[in-house]
Amino acid sequence: MNSTVRPGSSLVRQLTSTPEFLPFTLVVVLVVTFATLTPNFLSLGNISNLLAFTPELGMIALGMTVLMTSGEFDLSVGSVFGFTPVLMWTLFNQGVMPLEFALVVSLIVAVGIGFVNGWFVTRLRIPSFLVTLGMMMTVRGIALYTTSGFPQRTWRAESWLMDLVVGDFYIGGFRLYASLFWFIGFALVLGYIMTQSKFGNWIQAAGGNPVSARARGVRVSMTKTWLFMLTSFLAAYAGITSSIRVAAANPNSGTGYELEVIAMVVIGGTALAGGRGTILGTVLGVFMLRMMRNGIVLIGVPGLAYNIFIGVTILTMMALQSYLARRHPTGGG
Amino acid sequence: MATDLIQMKGIAKSYGPVTALDGVDFAVRENEIVGLLGDNGAGKSTLIKILSGTVPATRGDIFVRGKKVQIRNTTDAIALGIETIHQDSALVTQLSIARNLFLGREPTIGPRFLNRMDKRKMNEVAGTLLKEIGIKKDIPATTPVSYLSGGERQAVSIARALHFDSDLIVLDEPTNNLGVEETQGVLRFMRRARDTGHSLIFIAHNIHHVFQVVDRIVVLRRGKVVAEDVDPKQTTIEAVEELITGMAIA
Repeated sequence: MNSTVRPGSSLVRQLTSTPEFLPFTLVVVLVVTFATLTPNFLSLGNISNLLAFTPELGMIALGMTVLMTSGEFDLSVGSVFGFTPVLMWTLFNQGVMPLEFALVVSLIVAVGIGFVNGWFVTRLRIPSFLVTLGMMMTVRGIALYTTSGFPQRTWRAESWLMDLVVGDFYIGGFRLYASLFWFIGFALVLGYIMTQSKFGNWIQAAGGNPVSARARGVRVSMTKTWLFMLTSFLAAYAGITSSIRVAAANPNSGTGYELEVIAMVVIGGTALAGGRGTILGTVLGVFMLRMMRNGIVLIGVPGLAYNIFIGVTILTMMALQSYLARRHPTGGG
Repeated sequence: MATDLIQMKGIAKSYGPVTALDGVDFAVRENEIVGLLGDNGAGKSTLIKILSGTVPATRGDIFVRGKKVQIRNTTDAIALGIETIHQDSALVTQLSIARNLFLGREPTIGPRFLNRMDKRKMNEVAGTLLKEIGIKKDIPATTPVSYLSGGERQAVSIARALHFDSDLIVLDEPTNNLGVEETQGVLRFMRRARDTGHSLIFIAHNIHHVFQVVDRIVVLRRGKVVAEDVDPKQTTIEAVEELITGMAIA
């Protein structure tokens, strides 16, 4: 113990040492900047718009956060996002089963996909990058082949289930979707699991030092497999939500989401290499990237240029995060 | 004679054509510190890995207090009261001291399905343990292990083994990369563990450290036991070095 600095020496230090500090600051900066540049940014219509789509990517990001904390990641989430609603609506439209059953069956299939990912990674010891890359192509391929590339119609259905998942309602002139509350609910549950539960301790240990975690009797493989299943489940649920909201199940939807979601999670302060993760940070990261896309278009940056902004932001954030992470290793109470 | 705490009989292990252990008999009595010595490749780590459940033996039996046991994985070993502390890798540096101490055996509170950790109890126990093991500086139990020095980390690992009442604590190179003062701390801690009724196996390259603390030395050479009852008080470091290398050092 020579030159190491103890935490808690001052309030500023404590603040800057929390991984959520940076994304939170940037969210504030973005809101202020866009609101100053264009009054439309804070209009009810625009906020409502933001809140309609954000929970869908957000739910995938929540799953990815816990999975990445355990030291793995999943590239197949975008494909599962596209495939699951296609399966559900096909089962329903073909008259195989009622919508309620179709929902349950397709979610079970998605969880099964997650289990296969987990099994390949933990039993066959193949890196998750390769396993989930293969799964990404397989699942997308099945979605495209079985539909011949055509979207499945969803408008014939009329069900309480659709309202429960993503029904819209108005508070004054403000339009909200039920999916927002599901997103908040999932975030609260996962936040609890990560910070308060025994399982959460196992998740962080599995990502931080799997060898010693295993030596302590932590069931690392089981933990990771559950998390792959959880991630697939959330991606599937998000996909179903999206298909109901836009009234079509497109076998191509969700393409490229995996990388955007990983960017959101890492910007939020979760370590790409595992061992450290924050649900609050991910929520902030999700809003940050969505707000950037939205705000950049509103202030009139040409559509084709906005990937440049996103890319540069990601790089800057990573640099700042890694600088802060080096200065303040975090532990979790 | 009382039954030994641990007895390993005829342990053999081959990695393909390479024989790492060739019929090793090894025992640990109650309340003793055994120094396990040998050159690189002598089979020390393999023997310990078999005992801690990380690799299976090709042949041989293990007895705990005279009862034959099967150690298939680390969970089995821990359940039998065998704690292994590997050099450097024993702790998860991202987690706090308290979370590390209870990793895998976290106490829970409230309804079972909530799976909620009893953090208050964890932090309390960890705080007491930190004082007991002689970390004088006022470190809160919620401090991440990455803030601790090498000696403090070893102390936390050993404290964990003591707290969970392991009968046997296996220390794999615990004094590697430690300063003089830190090394003394770890050795003092080992003596205290023995005096409170635990047995320890001490594996180290530094024979001087071993001599300061062990009751008995066992020497392995090329997968075989070449000496199993060396009393450090009645021999010299040179004599033990000779046993390890198998040649007389002029």
